[in-house]
Amino acid sequence: MREKPLVDLSQYLPILLFLGVALAISGAFVVLPMIVNRLTGTAKPNPDKLAEYECGFPAFEDSRAQFDVRFYLVAILFIVFDLEAAFLYPWAVSLGGIGLTGWASMMLFLVELGIGFAYAWKKGALDWE
Amino acid sequence: MIQLIAFYLFAVMVVGSAALTIFARNPVHSVLWLILAFFNAAGLMLLAGAEFIAMLLIIVYVGAVAVLFLFVVMMLDIDFAELRSGFARYAPLGVLLIVVLAAEMIFAVGAWSAGSLALSQRIAPTPDEIPNIQALGTLIYTRYLFIFEAAGLVLLVAMIGAIVLTHRARGGVRVQNVWQQNKRRPQDAVRNINQPVGQGVEL
Amino acid sequence: MSMIASLALTLPELILSTGALLLLLVAAWGGDGSSRLISWASVALLAIAGLSLGCANGVAFDGLYKADAFSNFAKALVYAAAAVSILIAPRFFEARGAMRAEYPILILLSSVGMGMMVSATDLLTLYVGLELQSLAAYVLASFMRRDSRSAEAGLKYFVLGALASGILLYGISLLYGFTGTTQFGGVATALGDGISHGELFGLVFVMAGLAFKISAVPFHMWTPDVYEGAPTPVTAFFASAPKVAAMALLVRIAVDAMGPATSSWQQIVIFAALASTILGGVAAIGQVNIKRLLAYSSINNVGFALFGLAAGTPDGVAATMSYMAVYIVMTLGSFLCVLQMRNAAGDAVEDIASLSGLSRTRPGLAAAFAIFMFSLAGIPPLFGFWPKFLVFDALVAIGLWPLAMIGIATSVIGAFYYLKIVKTMYFDEPAPAYAPSASRMENGLIALSAVAVSPLGYLAIPLLGALSMAAARALF
Repeated sequence: MREKPLVDLSQYLPILLFLGVALAISGAFVVLPMIVNRLTGTAKPNPDKLAEYECGFPAFEDSRAQFDVRFYLVAILFIVFDLEAAFLYPWAVSLGGIGLTGWASMMLFLVELGIGFAYAWKKGALDWE
Repeated sequence: MIQLIAFYLFAVMVVGSAALTIFARNPVHSVLWLILAFFNAAGLMLLAGAEFIAMLLIIVYVGAVAVLFLFVVMMLDIDFAELRSGFARYAPLGVLLIVVLAAEMIFAVGAWSAGSLALSQRIAPTPDEIPNIQALGTLIYTRYLFIFEAAGLVLLVAMIGAIVLTHRARGGVRVQNVWQQNKRRPQDAVRNINQPVGQGVEL
Repeated sequence: MSMIASLALTLPELILSTGALLLLLVAAWGGDGSSRLISWASVALLAIAGLSLGCANGVAFDGLYKADAFSNFAKALVYAAAAVSILIAPRFFEARGAMRAEYPILILLSSVGMGMMVSATDLLTLYVGLELQSLAAYVLASFMRRDSRSAEAGLKYFVLGALASGILLYGISLLYGFTGTTQFGGVATALGDGISHGELFGLVFVMAGLAFKISAVPFHMWTPDVYEGAPTPVTAFFASAPKVAAMALLVRIAVDAMGPATSSWQQIVIFAALASTILGGVAAIGQVNIKRLLAYSSINNVGFALFGLAAGTPDGVAATMSYMAVYIVMTLGSFLCVLQMRNAAGDAVEDIASLSGLSRTRPGLAAAFAIFMFSLAGIPPLFGFWPKFLVFDALVAIGLWPLAMIGIATSVIGAFYYLKIVKTMYFDEPAPAYAPSASRMENGLIALSAVAVSPLGYLAIPLLGALSMAAARALF
């Protein structure tokens, strides 16, 4: 690999800028209100105000409640279809060059997993209660 | 220059967050460090010119595998004190593994500096003029079609396996019956009545 | 090579995978009530796929896949063993209320993977086929998910199997990195001009990963636990079909891809063969559970089959393939006998002590069991002797007679525990009798396999010898 130079990174400049802007804006949204309320004199903390508040959950308890094993099934099915989707990207990009064979191979792949999907659906693996 | 800086940044972050994955006291933190390691590994892949692999790392590993890890960590009711108590007992084995891994690394570096990696005689050298996602695409769906379909079967087996091993039919599931819903007509559900004044509605 | 021609060569895999997909839909809509229908349909599919083997010969998909006499021989064995494992399942699982329509489908998909393994001429085909086979096997091991032993077996198999896959993949990546190709032919060309350290390490890791799959010592540790915990029909499957497939794969990669480096892998194979026969023989002596004992017996037998590969000659490879053919008949027969071990209440018993005096309570079963045990031990009048003879003959032919002597000595150690079972059945005080067998099909299969490994089996030598020799010639 020595003879091959590392990739020219300047092509990733837009995404770097994007990340920078995203970081700056999201940081501003957190910090600005804190600064503003300091400056305007409305910062009057008391224990109730400082308590964590999130969706009505009590603030202090073990955060690791046990999950139902059904989450696992959903997560596995998600991974399978996630991978299926990942295979679609190179296919979509190269579809012009790979002809009918390439198109048919992806259709066959989709049918395989489509049958799996029908099976999962019919078995009730996608149902909650 | 900037490539070198980026490389060392990503590399240090990968190694650092991998170490923290192991040393974190809380398994949930371990998973979060692991996600950071995946992100930086994706950065390294970008530097090596494998953009598609980098994207896969983010989509599949960060998006799905790490989430599954979190589920598993949450599902298991681990007693951390008990988990740590075996440390002294398993330490020799751990040291042995470290020695093996270190030997492997030394060997790998040695092999690499000997320069015998025959990347130039590859059957399908990486083309420079098209992006590698396209290069992959032209191979996966034609030349390696057979393997690709078999990979689909592997995914199918994973799906069947997960359902066979963890799914149980539950009572009280209200399944949507599309046919019934579509068959329903206004006259089955709606009734027009002329309601007399002063009387209760008859249901 | 056009796409249609390639597809025609992979016809067995196409039949099995299309059939499995259709049956999966039947399973989804028909529910577990359709299990028997799906089982019979699966057996029919395996038979059709077996019949389609004869017409295929050639290389498909630019060298990813090869149909030749060798792959056809191995596939015929694999499909037969898979069909038997499907046939014996419904009665076993129904007695426990655990029959599911997915069982035959998983075996079918696993057979697709095994077909890819034995036809692989590319490291990628090898790996994907192996994963397809293994993934289905992990699920099958814990198929009775309410049974804690079955769940444990599946988990152990999965964790250790994933480790072995990792080792194999590491070896594959080293081979690819240092030879620049994933095709067996290309690897052989690259190894032809001297083997570098990197290639040597790749070879070692690939051999280690495959040794795990055939449960050769020192990668055998999962075998007793998994064989004991998995439901008996699944254990019968594990001990037969995947062993043949992994052994055939090991033979093909050793000869096809690593042929120029024979002297390198020969040492590994000799060590694994010796260690497997010795450990399989010694560790089995103290076992009280019949399934554990048969697990050690399978380790022991794989060791003997490896002796044939160790010779590295066409004769040796033919001996290995003949050995696997006779071995699956013996081992399936033994597991069929184990399936008959049910107490009066109908629950399965697995301890060897319960076999006491079987000759008086069930003389027919005892006779069949004794035939399988004598045959596994390789005692001359029975057919199990013949492949052992072939294997040692191949070793002597290339001058490795010290190895052959050691092998014969270890087979004497192994004979001890087989004979102990026969002694328990024939000379001990009778234990409570087993429940009578209700299945005519299982009795028929036992009788059939007992006849096949009896001295009558020698009648099949011309056919089996010619087929295995043709298979071996296809590689060299």
